[in-house]
Amino acid sequence: MYLVADIDVDICAATSCKLCTQYCPEANTILYDDNAGKEKGLKYGAAYVAVDRCKGCAQCVWVCDNMAKHHAITMVMIDQLPKAAITDRITYLDQGGTKALAAPVEVA
Amino acid sequence: MSLDYVKFSPGFDKFMPKEYRDMVEHGPFGKKTTVSQMGSFKEILEEHPMCAGCAMTLFIRLAMISFPNPEDTITVGTAGCGRLAISQAAIPFVYGNYGDQNAVASGLSRGLKLRFGDIPKDVVVMAGDGGMADIGFSMTLHSWFRKERFTTIMLDNEVYGNTGGQESGMTNKGQVLKMAPLGKKFEKMDMIGMAKLAGCAYVATVVPNNPRRVESVIKKAVLIAREIGPTYIQAYTSCNIEYSIPTDKVLEDAKSVETDRYAFSEYVSDEAKEYLATRYGFKEYLPKPAAALPKA
Repeated sequence: MYLVADIDVDICAATSCKLCTQYCPEANTILYDDNAGKEKGLKYGAAYVAVDRCKGCAQCVWVCDNMAKHHAITMVMIDQLPKAAITDRITYLDQGGTKALAAPVEVA
Repeated sequence: MSLDYVKFSPGFDKFMPKEYRDMVEHGPFGKKTTVSQMGSFKEILEEHPMCAGCAMTLFIRLAMISFPNPEDTITVGTAGCGRLAISQAAIPFVYGNYGDQNAVASGLSRGLKLRFGDIPKDVVVMAGDGGMADIGFSMTLHSWFRKERFTTIMLDNEVYGNTGGQESGMTNKGQVLKMAPLGKKFEKMDMIGMAKLAGCAYVATVVPNNPRRVESVIKKAVLIAREIGPTYIQAYTSCNIEYSIPTDKVLEDAKSVETDRYAFSEYVSDEAKEYLATRYGFKEYLPKPAAALPKA
């Protein structure tokens, strides 16, 4: 098993810093869903991780803890994730933004 | 070299992989994309085999987003870590023999000028410190002296990371590495000074812990290289393997190195300033209004 980043939607959707999307070294890995938080009645969207692209370097954790100071990202064993987004289920919207269609998806 | 080369032939789109369809339909081609939109469009860079947490990857990712016209850009590289990621992007990549990337780019940019005339076609060289400052040194410097119009970006990880940790010309004095156990005996080469001496119109040092700054530096360098002259960017992209930096401390290291020896610096020639202001409306380079005369 290996570690992947997991972003807490409740904390992330209370802010709109998007720093982790800019500091991830992997392309198309941390994506932003503009509606993720609004469905829960929160102010903003939330970032999420395409776990099949994540290499587990934890740079986003450092950025979220030390630069943004939101502490929304943790490293989790991939089989311990209750829900996860994978590239094949992610759609890009015409007006910009992304939507993880079937995310949360069961990993197991 | 146009928007059409990425599009599907009619009827074939359903056979293409999802990543390719996303790139054509929601990629940055033909649009203005910025760093602040990251995460909401398909990037031209794809999955690549570079190490987890590599700062060079982060810089290359930011560079690919920052190109003013990705559909009219060709990247040129050489042996080294960087080419593993640069070659995985949806823009043409030319792989030169070790060290000859600036010579290849010289011919390429001249050929594109002949073929396309005033239509801007950008050539961007991205190579490591070994390929540029050691093995390709003569070709790099000569391309600057000849005033070849393309952008040169050095991905400076201060070591030969791909071959086990030998010292390069850009390694700092005294640095002990796996294949330099006694420490380097000479100073780090001053490529910034040489670039200015050789007549580059734009010279900058940058560290990828400020994405917006990386974006602005690359945009300016590519735009200036279209008409004014050679441009050079030196980017600190640490090697977390050879320098034993934990992957989650890579940006902390970048931050400390930025405050220590890699402070942001930018040199823009007067001609380039005028060009950016008049052609592309860069406000910071517009002539300042004459100061009001002091009251008598």
